[in-house]
Amino acid sequence: MKQDFRMTYPLWNMAFILILAVMAVGFTSSFVNVTKTDSSLSIEAQAVEGFLLFAALIAYLVLITIYLIALQSYNRKNPERKISAFSIRPPEYMEQDEGMTFITRKAVQKVYTFITWSLPFLALIVMLAPIPKLYIVWGILAVAFGQNLIYYMEMRRHLKEAAE
Amino acid sequence: MLKNRVKELRARYGFTQSELGKQVDVTRQTIAFIEKGEFSPSITLSLKLAKVLQVEIGDLFWLEEE
Repeated sequence: MKQDFRMTYPLWNMAFILILAVMAVGFTSSFVNVTKTDSSLSIEAQAVEGFLLFAALIAYLVLITIYLIALQSYNRKNPERKISAFSIRPPEYMEQDEGMTFITRKAVQKVYTFITWSLPFLALIVMLAPIPKLYIVWGILAVAFGQNLIYYMEMRRHLKEAAE
Repeated sequence: MLKNRVKELRARYGFTQSELGKQVDVTRQTIAFIEKGEFSPSITLSLKLAKVLQVEIGDLFWLEEE
């Protein structure tokens, strides 16, 4: 079960989210529109942001290549349970029988509870405080990261108990 | 709370969780969840388990006051 791609899928999501968080530094900064030239500190910061964006893009491409190779390998080994890379339905749902459907539902309920509280809370903070765009993007990514982490931890707990 | 004798009867017949799971068309994990009392199976699965373990369904699953 540990080798099941559906089990490790949230970990891939979390890795992609972390890269997006780094990428956001570059995308949300104003390094493209250089207006200040009299401050060496400002120039260095822009270079760092540019580097972060470039490095994150490369990391994203590398990770997506590894992901597609791993997915292809899983599909070759599990022709009866193929996962589509472009499926709208999250592939991490494990619903091959009623017991697995039961634990998947429990994990999804925990995620739903988390989303129910975290999104309005995030919206409230953004409304009340003058938060820079980067922090708003990071907030959204943090919710997405948390969602995957909760799902993964819950599924892992159940499957670990079943293995004992 | 739903109690069961799946583990005891499985051991009596010398089945592993995987073997029993295969006979009733579920994963090994689902058998483990049932044995631990974490998951209450459907009537269909309960009947299948009772058939494989050669007992009446009432002797395999019963309700216990909490």
